[in-house]
Amino acid sequence: MTIIPPYLNPGDCIAIVCPAGYMSLDRVQTCIDTLLQWGYRVRVGKTVGGPSDNYFSGSDDERLADLQQMLDDPAVNAILCGRGGYGLSRIIDRIDFARFQKNPKWIIGYSDITILHQHIETHFDIATLHSPMAGAFNDGGAETSYVQSLRVALAGQPSGYSCPSHPFNRVGRAAAPLTGGNLTLLAHLAGSSSASDTKGRLLFLEDVGEYLYNIDRMLRQLKRSGRLDRLAGLIVGSFTELKDTQRPFGARVEDIVLDCIREYEYPVCFGFPVGHAIENVALKTNVEYELTVTASGSALTEC
Amino acid sequence: MNRKNFLSSVLGLGVMGPAFATTQSRHNAKTSSRSTTSTRGAALLPPSPPKVQPLLIPPYLKPGDSIGITCPAGDITLKEIQPAVQQIESWGFHVKVGDTVGKKDFIFGGADAERLADFQQMLSDPSISAILCARGGYGAVHLIDQLDFSPLYQHPKWVIGFSDITVILCHLHTNLNIASIHSKMCNSFPDDWAKAEPVQIASIFSIRQALTGEKMNYTVPPQDHNRLGSAHGQLIGGNLKTIETLAGTHSDIDTAGTILFVEDTGEYLYSIDRMFWHLQRTGKLDRLAGLIVGGFKVKPDDPGEEYGRSLYDIVTERIKPYSFPVCFDFPVGHQKENYALKYGMPHTLDIRTDQVNLLEI
Repeated sequence: MTIIPPYLNPGDCIAIVCPAGYMSLDRVQTCIDTLLQWGYRVRVGKTVGGPSDNYFSGSDDERLADLQQMLDDPAVNAILCGRGGYGLSRIIDRIDFARFQKNPKWIIGYSDITILHQHIETHFDIATLHSPMAGAFNDGGAETSYVQSLRVALAGQPSGYSCPSHPFNRVGRAAAPLTGGNLTLLAHLAGSSSASDTKGRLLFLEDVGEYLYNIDRMLRQLKRSGRLDRLAGLIVGSFTELKDTQRPFGARVEDIVLDCIREYEYPVCFGFPVGHAIENVALKTNVEYELTVTASGSALTEC
Repeated sequence: MNRKNFLSSVLGLGVMGPAFATTQSRHNAKTSSRSTTSTRGAALLPPSPPKVQPLLIPPYLKPGDSIGITCPAGDITLKEIQPAVQQIESWGFHVKVGDTVGKKDFIFGGADAERLADFQQMLSDPSISAILCARGGYGAVHLIDQLDFSPLYQHPKWVIGFSDITVILCHLHTNLNIASIHSKMCNSFPDDWAKAEPVQIASIFSIRQALTGEKMNYTVPPQDHNRLGSAHGQLIGGNLKTIETLAGTHSDIDTAGTILFVEDTGEYLYSIDRMFWHLQRTGKLDRLAGLIVGGFKVKPDDPGEEYGRSLYDIVTERIKPYSFPVCFDFPVGHQKENYALKYGMPHTLDIRTDQVNLLEI
């Protein structure tokens, strides 16, 4: 039975940490201000805008210590990752989840944070929040329905999203727990102890900056490792800043996806607002949703 | 370049006596863990040959034997393979040019069905003694689960290639334990031999030496970052990204007791770091006998995303918890110096202060 961390009440504390790439404090300021405005307290970790002069927001030890402290501190009710980038692979096996397991709290983020979502799902069966991060609050982003969906999710109101019909959709209806995230990281986790079992689940995928052939290769890896055949449904988010080889690959993401799953019969929704674009709604991983794909549009509603 | 490449019969076999005993136990460990792998893969692969089996070494080629050229991945023209055809014929072999040479379906050397049929035909034709993949690119994974490799039990043959062909070499090693050749392909044969660099010519000739049964024996200069020591085990590996994308599938390699070689091209440093973490997190470094780091053509960091660690830093950090020997800059990869390696064959790797030697047993 999936464990749902307690939803947040006014006055609860959200910690912001950067377990992967570097982020300056000024890029996080709007997020901090907004969370305060929402009625929460905010604790800013040492890895946000720290002294690091390299790619990471701190050394492995520093990033681990910051995240570990927030996981362990009972006064912290949720942990919002400032940004993704790259870095969780380097510390995931050293994180001690013992206290988190006793006192679950919401872990918030996406992209590289997919590693935390998958690892927590696989090992502890605790719900997490795949959602916009600090950068998304900037430049008016905090007012969008996408960042607001995080507010709704944290407050414990059930979420429901709809998206327009898409010519490549496969109609159908399925209710199942959600899993997924960044395709590159799902591929990267394959064969490791953090890889989740997708059987009977609604899988959502998104990616950024990848070559089309590589999208194809990663989807085939998921398929060949038995993680596409027994899905309840598939939700395809945005694949932004795609690259192509000098000689064109000759297929769109939609073609690649449908070719990979043509022998399966579950519903498929394209164009779902999750990914590295502004359109990125908060999704509770490991929580049951109902996916409805009809000729007139799709909906994903928390059960 | 003062790298030396000595291709000769075995020298100094005497020193390997003690190492061999260690290898036997390592091999047993591998065999037992391999059966675990096969259990995992069995659910995905209905008609699967038995996985635990002795090393299958295809017959070496003699003059008059035939080599088939096919495109399981990227496309190539008939004209582009002419230098390879002429050279291979000059070695005394016949060349059978597959139907996919000259075919093109976007980046592929023909549609999946065409590439599958061509490769399958070469697997099944007993008159073909070796299958040379014309080039890499991308696409072998589209065919791998549909290819019937069972003809190789009756008529083992050498499969030759690298880069994307790593898919096939890994799959053959894991599922059939058959030796293959990791080497340059048709697209690397020079148009004009007179203008080709000696290392390129030597790399091409090493394919012939591997095919005709010479023991591979490479000696390269030492490198400051190397970790000294000796190792003995089956030589496996290939393109690092491709190895990562096989993880979790029944083509994935079990590296226990092996000498692993890796190379890559066009990857960011952070991505290379992530791939070495992947090796560690999937247990591929735990019981390794030795590690050979080949060529890595690194994609420059994007502005503002400077990774700040070199390939050497990345690997040195990852190997710290282990004690196996490691060498860098081995002449294998997407570069002119890319010598033929007998994939799956037992080798010794001897990394000393004055030189590095990789020797086929």
